[in-house]
Amino acid sequence: MYFFTDEEKKHLLRYHLPRAREQGVAEELRGWNWHQPPLEPVYRDVVLALYEVANSYCPTGRDVYLRRVQQKRGRPNLAMIQGIIFHAVVADVIVAAKRAIYSEGVANYRAIVERIQNHPPIPLDEWAEQLSKDQLDDTLAKAEILATFEKTRVLARLQEILTKQPYIGEDSLVSLALPIVVEQKLDGSFLGLSPNLSTDAFVFWEPMVIDIKFDRQRDFHRLTTTGYALVMEALYEFPVNLGCIVYGEFRGDRLIVKKDIHIISDELRQWFIEARDEKARLVAEEIDPGKGECYEECPYFHICWGE
Amino acid sequence: MIVKVADLKQYLYCPRIIYFTYVAPVEKKVTAKMAIGKEEHYATVRLEERRRLRAYGLSEGERHFNAYFYSERLRLEGVLDMYIVTPRGNFPVDFKNACRVALNHKYQLVAYALLLEDHFGRPVRGGFIYLIPRKQVHYLEITPEARLYTKKLIGAVRNLVAREHFPEVPRRSGRCADCEYRNYCGDVL
Ligand code: SF4
Repeated sequence: MYFFTDEEKKHLLRYHLPRAREQGVAEELRGWNWHQPPLEPVYRDVVLALYEVANSYCPTGRDVYLRRVQQKRGRPNLAMIQGIIFHAVVADVIVAAKRAIYSEGVANYRAIVERIQNHPPIPLDEWAEQLSKDQLDDTLAKAEILATFEKTRVLARLQEILTKQPYIGEDSLVSLALPIVVEQKLDGSFLGLSPNLSTDAFVFWEPMVIDIKFDRQRDFHRLTTTGYALVMEALYEFPVNLGCIVYGEFRGDRLIVKKDIHIISDELRQWFIEARDEKARLVAEEIDPGKGECYEECPYFHICWGE
Repeated sequence: MIVKVADLKQYLYCPRIIYFTYVAPVEKKVTAKMAIGKEEHYATVRLEERRRLRAYGLSEGERHFNAYFYSERLRLEGVLDMYIVTPRGNFPVDFKNACRVALNHKYQLVAYALLLEDHFGRPVRGGFIYLIPRKQVHYLEITPEARLYTKKLIGAVRNLVAREHFPEVPRRSGRCADCEYRNYCGDVL
């Protein structure tokens, strides 16, 4: 899911990277300026999860109010549960591949391949009772498609590197074939966000935050990568100019993957900060923003609209 | 209401300036700093008329100064310091008495680009900000996101005036020290 096709690489190198470097970003909107407005959090006591700021499925932000002020728990919908599982599947294959390389060693290439190919699916027991029989079967089938796709991609990359680098060691092989950290933990407290954030993936070759979604494309999805980019700038003091949302879609037994590579522009940064401040205000001032045009799968639908 | 490009700058600096300009007009003092700024601005325009286009990275083109534009579609108007017409397209140029390109400069430039587009019926890909004290030219691409944000700003100005809503003070309180309307802001004195 994380690896780019040749066309995507071309887009990245010819279009996004040069533009990201040329365009620049207003200094006050760089994460390392978290200690002054507009990045400085207004409501210091309110700590929001990054998804609470970035997700705009609820048109009014009432979901945040219900969770934080009313201490209500939503009922996760199918898309949310499947999203968690599919994320775990992708991360699991990548970590398993890294583990196989380190423990078998480059000399035992065949053993690495076997271990990756035979890596077992992740158990779904934890989620099973939240899913009906049909939903569970559907989830298992999709998880398998995803794991198979990811294993094939990882193996292809390993092969590609190994045919080019006869003297490569394990560590270098891992960093060349799998140049990403999955579930990178980040402390968002500089920006009024949770100290335990986790990005889906971070690539090193050009600082870029990647997020996977199993949903149709929505404009606010880019707020997720923007938030992580700001947090990374605040923590490590280097510019993070690019983000990428990877969209996975199941069509029959096929997986379709599309990527939305984007510049973390001034406008996205401002949008993120405005969303953060608006939602933090709802919590700090205990303001119920009311209902808007709701979507029926909303985890809080039963609370807002009755059973 | 017809929004002026300069309103966007004011709105970003402090939305209360829009309130004091349109909703509850008050008299403002022109400070010495502002008068000097205006003079430098005119001097730059005079000098610019004699300069070449090399600083803008353009080999050919026709320059036009102090041009008024109005867009019926956006109900937006403004006087643009300069624009350059070239075979590659038209470029707005805004002269600024500042040492760096600030965000409000950027959105004014985008607004001018939108005006130019509507006037000539041709897309504008980018524009320039000329920083007077440094004699530096900065190219800015007019991105789809910047266009959207600028339209949102135009809407926000109009909304504030229509609702006659007295806005909050922006969080950069340091700005109030330099503001001509400071005396009218009871809560920040
Ligand atoms: S039911 Fe509607 S108002 Fe309530 S949280 Fe969901 S989307 Fe928001």
